[in-house]
Amino acid sequence: MSQSQDIQFDGLYAHELTVSRSEQVLLEDADLHLAPSTITYLYGENGAGKTSLMRCLAGLLPEDHGVVYWNKKPINHPDSGYFQDLIFLAHSLSMKNELTIAENLRFYANLRLKGRVHQKSLSNDISGVLRELGIGGLENRMFAELSAGQQHKVALARLMLEPAKIWILDEPFVNLDQKTRGWLADKTLAFKEQGGVVLFTSHHHIDELPVDQNVGVEHE
Amino acid sequence: MILTLLKRELKVARRNWIGLAIPLLFFIIVVSLFPFAVSPEAPVLQKLAPGVIWVAALLAMLLSLEQFYRSDYQDGSLEQLLLMSSPTSVAISKILAHWLLTGLPLVILSPLLAVLMQINYGSAGSSHTWVLMLSLVLGTPTLCLLGAVGMSLTLAASRNGLLVSILIIPLYVPILIFGASTVTASLENMRYNGELAILGAFLLIAIVFAPFASGRALKISVG
Repeated sequence: MSQSQDIQFDGLYAHELTVSRSEQVLLEDADLHLAPSTITYLYGENGAGKTSLMRCLAGLLPEDHGVVYWNKKPINHPDSGYFQDLIFLAHSLSMKNELTIAENLRFYANLRLKGRVHQKSLSNDISGVLRELGIGGLENRMFAELSAGQQHKVALARLMLEPAKIWILDEPFVNLDQKTRGWLADKTLAFKEQGGVVLFTSHHHIDELPVDQNVGVEHE
Repeated sequence: MILTLLKRELKVARRNWIGLAIPLLFFIIVVSLFPFAVSPEAPVLQKLAPGVIWVAALLAMLLSLEQFYRSDYQDGSLEQLLLMSSPTSVAISKILAHWLLTGLPLVILSPLLAVLMQINYGSAGSSHTWVLMLSLVLGTPTLCLLGAVGMSLTLAASRNGLLVSILIIPLYVPILIFGASTVTASLENMRYNGELAILGAFLLIAIVFAPFASGRALKISVG
């Protein structure tokens, strides 16, 4: 494998990445480095390909060309542990309407931790996070019964319940009230302090969250 | 991991039981109309029974395919599942849950339909019913497995129900032929081991290849 050239970069590193969607090239031979303990803001107009780039970095959309490395190993390499370390929150909330909030959150936590988690303390953690988010006591409500903003908060709660080293967040601040924006900014900064890598998109500048790196995606 | 996924499938299905009941109702209604439409006499019905029951079972399975990966694809959970576990284990858990929720109920309901279609008529009646159940036990999982491949291939296409039917029915036909002829052989007091063996062989081949194929196809559909 000639691909295993020496990559010097920790964190997430995309080398000569070309991404296209529906035969339209969105990104050509781009190098991108998201180092540990950095927050990167990804900006661009609607349809410029922010989401496609994120999906590609999350390993969901196959790249046309180039390699994405996680801690010097290609992300699809079994030893990279990338998918263990990654939380990707997409625009769709990925929650089942037929399950309660607690059931939804517990399912993802169990799936990530492969069931090696103390269920009682997980329940306590879920209650705690929901309380912080201002939707405490709604654990046993069906996901479908919540308002759009509340549903979004439930999706964000995953960030606190699943251990990770990189967050890729597609529009995490949309639909949130002022208080929750502050909460998310605080948590993101705390995650960064612990060496976490953060990539997020937003249509507005987020005053609460100082970013270390700006990356733009533009139309041709 | 598969257990975690399976538990979630069953929980979602339990809250959404009406969707699951429709294919089963369809199965019962189609078969129960035949005695009215054709003739309630045992010799006539017995001749039709294997084909009618098997065709109805096949169509019921086809009808239920619609809910296979669709809702997970639409709400984005499929993406998350593929990130956090292997595509093959996602496919295995889905297929297993789907069979438990549609294939198995079909098998359990089939003795009732055997009564309606007069299969259990005469001295060897109960053994014919057993053969019918056995043929469905071996046949319906294969239908699930093939259906999973078809559904995962066409997920990204809108209105994929029709597309899947066209894609999958040719693959279903051999199972229909051997399934129905197993029961026919039993009704004519002939040996039916050969037909059952072939149904079993189809099942084994599908078990080996279908989860893997479906997982790969899911990956492509999501990408």
